[in-house]
Amino acid sequence: MGVFILRRMVGLVVVLFAISLLVFVIFNVIPGGDPALRLAGRHPTQQNIRQIRKDWGFDKPLYVQYGDMMERLFIKRDLISYQDQTAVLPTIERGIPRTLSLATGAALIWLVTGVAIGVLSAIHQGRWLDRILTVLALAGVSIPIFWLGAVLLYLLTFRYHSWAVFSWIPPGGYVPIATSPLQWAEHLILPWIVLAVVSIGFYARVVRASLLDVRAMDYIRTARAKGLSDRRVLFRHTLRTCLIPVVTLFGLDFGAAVGGTVILIEPIFGIEGVGQYAQESVAHLDLPPLMALTLYGAFFVVVANTVIDLAYAWLDPRTRAQ
Amino acid sequence: MTVEAAAAPAGRGGLSLAWRRLRRNPAAIASAIVLVLIVLACFPGAPLWVDVACHHGPNDQNLEGFIHQGGHRIPVVRADGTPIGPGWRACYLLGADSNGRDLAVRILYGGRISLEVGASSALLCVVIALVMGLLAGYTGGIVDSVISRLLDLIWSFPVYLLAVALATTLAVGGLAIGPLHVASSSLAIPIVVIAVVFVPYVARPIRGQVLALRRMEFVEAAVATGAGPVRIMLFELMPNVASITLVMLTLIVANNILTEAALSFLGVGVPVLTPSWGNIIEQGYSSIVTAPALTVAPGIAIMLTVVSLNVLGDALRDALDPHARIRIR
Amino acid sequence: MRRTATLVAMLAALAVAAGCGGSSAGSSGGSGSGAPVNGGTLRAGIPDNPDYLDPGLSYTNEGWEILEATNNGLVTFKKAAGGAGAQIVPDIASAMPTVTDGGRTYTFHVRPDVMFSPPVSRDVRPSDFKFSIERLFRIDSGGLAFFTGIEGANAYAKTRKGSISGIVANDAKGTITFHLTQPDGTFLDYMATPFAFVLPTGTPSKDISTLPQWRVATGPYRVSSYTPKQQLIITRNPNFKQWTPNSPNGHLNEIDVQIGITPEQSVNETADGQLDWYFESVPPDRLTELKARYPSQVHLFTRNNTTYWVMNERKYPFNKLAVRQAVNYAIDRPALVKIFGGQGTPTENIVPPGFGSAYKPHDLYPHNVAKAKQLIQQAGVEGASVTVWGHNTDPTPKAVQYMAGVLNSIGLHATVKTEDESVYWPTIASEKGDPQIAFNDWNEDYPESQDWFDVLLNGEHIVNVGNNDVSNSNIPAYNRMIDQAKRMPLGAARNAIWAKLDYLYMKNDAGWAPFMNRQWPKFVSPNLHGLVFNGTYFELFPSMWLSK
Repeated sequence: MGVFILRRMVGLVVVLFAISLLVFVIFNVIPGGDPALRLAGRHPTQQNIRQIRKDWGFDKPLYVQYGDMMERLFIKRDLISYQDQTAVLPTIERGIPRTLSLATGAALIWLVTGVAIGVLSAIHQGRWLDRILTVLALAGVSIPIFWLGAVLLYLLTFRYHSWAVFSWIPPGGYVPIATSPLQWAEHLILPWIVLAVVSIGFYARVVRASLLDVRAMDYIRTARAKGLSDRRVLFRHTLRTCLIPVVTLFGLDFGAAVGGTVILIEPIFGIEGVGQYAQESVAHLDLPPLMALTLYGAFFVVVANTVIDLAYAWLDPRTRAQ
Repeated sequence: MTVEAAAAPAGRGGLSLAWRRLRRNPAAIASAIVLVLIVLACFPGAPLWVDVACHHGPNDQNLEGFIHQGGHRIPVVRADGTPIGPGWRACYLLGADSNGRDLAVRILYGGRISLEVGASSALLCVVIALVMGLLAGYTGGIVDSVISRLLDLIWSFPVYLLAVALATTLAVGGLAIGPLHVASSSLAIPIVVIAVVFVPYVARPIRGQVLALRRMEFVEAAVATGAGPVRIMLFELMPNVASITLVMLTLIVANNILTEAALSFLGVGVPVLTPSWGNIIEQGYSSIVTAPALTVAPGIAIMLTVVSLNVLGDALRDALDPHARIRIR
Repeated sequence: MRRTATLVAMLAALAVAAGCGGSSAGSSGGSGSGAPVNGGTLRAGIPDNPDYLDPGLSYTNEGWEILEATNNGLVTFKKAAGGAGAQIVPDIASAMPTVTDGGRTYTFHVRPDVMFSPPVSRDVRPSDFKFSIERLFRIDSGGLAFFTGIEGANAYAKTRKGSISGIVANDAKGTITFHLTQPDGTFLDYMATPFAFVLPTGTPSKDISTLPQWRVATGPYRVSSYTPKQQLIITRNPNFKQWTPNSPNGHLNEIDVQIGITPEQSVNETADGQLDWYFESVPPDRLTELKARYPSQVHLFTRNNTTYWVMNERKYPFNKLAVRQAVNYAIDRPALVKIFGGQGTPTENIVPPGFGSAYKPHDLYPHNVAKAKQLIQQAGVEGASVTVWGHNTDPTPKAVQYMAGVLNSIGLHATVKTEDESVYWPTIASEKGDPQIAFNDWNEDYPESQDWFDVLLNGEHIVNVGNNDVSNSNIPAYNRMIDQAKRMPLGAARNAIWAKLDYLYMKNDAGWAPFMNRQWPKFVSPNLHGLVFNGTYFELFPSMWLSK
């Protein structure tokens, strides 16, 4: 196990290094990416542009610039954005609780709802409720997430904002939980639902499928033969077993949500977490935050995967041997 | 995408069994019909509608024009920029956009692009993934290591961040590698970008399955008869990963249509002048208050298509291999 | 040319910059019912951080709106709307300067009674002004170009050693003298921009936006706290005592600016009574509805702005005059204004109507697609590939698509390229970007036509990067006319040359296809009064007051 973790950690460092190189190279070949011109404003003098290149180190060889950037990111921790010269790391630190609030709440909703729907479908396998739930679950998975967010925001905070049921929904933004837990939840409820809706379907399907699989297995038949009721068998014996793939999936999805999907959601709701920061940095071709954020996202995805693999190894010793 | 598939070789007779299962699934039949209708509407239907309706192409702008309805003369775009909304008429059935273009016509033509991008990027993705998965799984050793690490690298990148970064680079600069030159306004860019970012999600499970198949008797038997590696990969292994690949192809088309929409919405997808469902949403979203149809209608088109593909893929999987759990993120 | 801090890219927001009022709309703001009431806290919002709170660095209207309330220069544009707001009056100088040496020497007397805010808390000295101008050269200021005409400035820019020989400060006598290399009619305009606002000697040669001990004010307000991406609080400057009517005392006690409010949110929160004022204009999508529902809370300000297509005279097919003229005939200007939500007036002039007698409307290019087609055919460029460039801040992409459609309709073959606004401007201004035809707009730094002709069309200023002459217009005779007008004092004679140049450029060069002077629509709380829109500083905080 120790070797496994060590190998994964080495792998993580290699992957992060490769990603950082990739991002750095990509953004240095783009025309218009030249930050000196942006910093110089719209009345630049040639002298001014030269000076900015020198002051910011843009005249140094690329590998030196890369080294400088990594040093400022990991050692000095004082990386500055080209776009507005704000410190990158505090902005990310400020964004993390926002993104985590978004992802955690959504994850809770999709997990609970997904399992519930899956169980319901499995109980009613083949009947009309199962069919309807299946199509509904797949419909949720098929909605463009940004579109759902945009349309809901429009309907609930503008079009039907005057209806008493919706009038409390704020038009985006974020309030820290420490300031007001109620407002925190009010601001996040819509994004939570949106982010959850596109995942519920997967969980419902997986739970349904594995419930049906497990049901067919011997020990369940034994339990049934002992005269236990169907429902009791389901909850006592089956559900626990088939939650394992759900937990695995959950790790993956949570990693993917925190590390990526939030890019599509946060800007629409103005949550200003790391996802929105990432989206803005890409739009502005702002290398320093983009570098930091890509590494952050990749870190999250890789760590989530490692945790899953560990869980797998723990559950199923055969994979350890490989 | 995660796949947990039984590594048992699917018998050839399985296909006809699958077909019979599929035919008995009403949801699958319904979604197949919807899909066919959507394809018909977008491909032969689009120019037909233009001819029948009012001869406006998808990019024909009509900012200063009027239409006559019920004795009224209604501007296509009002002086404050508000376009005409949906209504029962041939011209501007779903209304116009801020440039005075016919939304219904744009959605029909946009469907062509979205379907084309979704399907061709899915094909490209699956082909690359098949080659990589077969190579890595069968040859093992250094080839496997290199391919697996490459897949890991792409996989560790958050999907949208990678897609956006690649697409931004290419959309700003175009692509010029040696003699190959792709203009920054080419449709090939979103296709390639979308295909590449999802390769690991398809290649990894294929590799896994090939790894398992490699040790099976029929492969060893083929080796014993002197068959070369290419031959084994093509004729022994390929047929056995075909069913999982087919299922994945359906699901990945659905996934890629969504990705196209997301990238276009972020402004780095399909070139601006080419209407696609994602582009239409992107261009309409800024007017969601005055002209909600511009955002809502193309979204519904996407949803219908993707739901149909997902239901079909789901049914296909059930029919081919009820134990496989496949999905695409 | 100023821009807004880049907005939340996903949301519809107007591209921004400075403007000015030539029109009465500028002064009608805020239905100033009754006498102003003192006190109260203005709840304000802004989509993102202002670019800087450093007068030497800020180059956006958000930054200038704040700096106008907190800092002062030797002279100022009159704190008024419309044409009156273009007038230059003394601020920390006790009177207008004496100009000698054929317009090359400006001598100011500095008031003895103006004090810096804590922690500096001492009187402003002439040497502080010299220090502040020299500091611009040490901090790579975007406003540097305005001050390179001072003797010795270019040498100082290279070495950054010693001092600028052309600025002589005498703290004992309370005078400061500027020696220019040649006469410059708009030198006082430069001196009224925030770049020339005074900071105490010793201010570090770096951005002071987040250094509270160096964010020193001279005006009625000061920024007392600033947390980027969160909040900015502006309170009264305890050391401020009004010295003339040009330095108004202000009515509000405090201005709390929430950072990160999107334009959509601002509209909703203002309607719900949670926000009083927002830095940006109303999203075009909401304007119609707001005008209908809250007619007294919507204000339309006129900016000194020209929005235009710029055609690169060095690139095929726009290297042919006939093609550039064809584009001018082909575009339907009122249709383009519609794309901008009707928030502008069509124009085919280079300078905006707010520039007095420099603006003489001409009608060289009535909308005529047939004529445009014919010109394209005559030029023999049918089917030429053309890429239309634009940025992605709504509604510019729609205008770009409109343009592509127009070019296709007259026989060219158009594609489109859009980039994020923050990247777009530097890209089209560099040889690497080198657009064929591009969306462009220009907003005043100071209310005078020189900011248009000399910066945007004088071929002597064409450079490889940071090139504002995007059309690469370079007609030596016209360059000489610009140089001649620049040296003249402000006034009718000078304006006559600008008006003539406007006509000549449009007729014989046609590197531009101007189409609109853009407006600045605002939506504010019903309690907010005293809205005054100055062309250079935008809305003036010291004039605002809250009724309750």
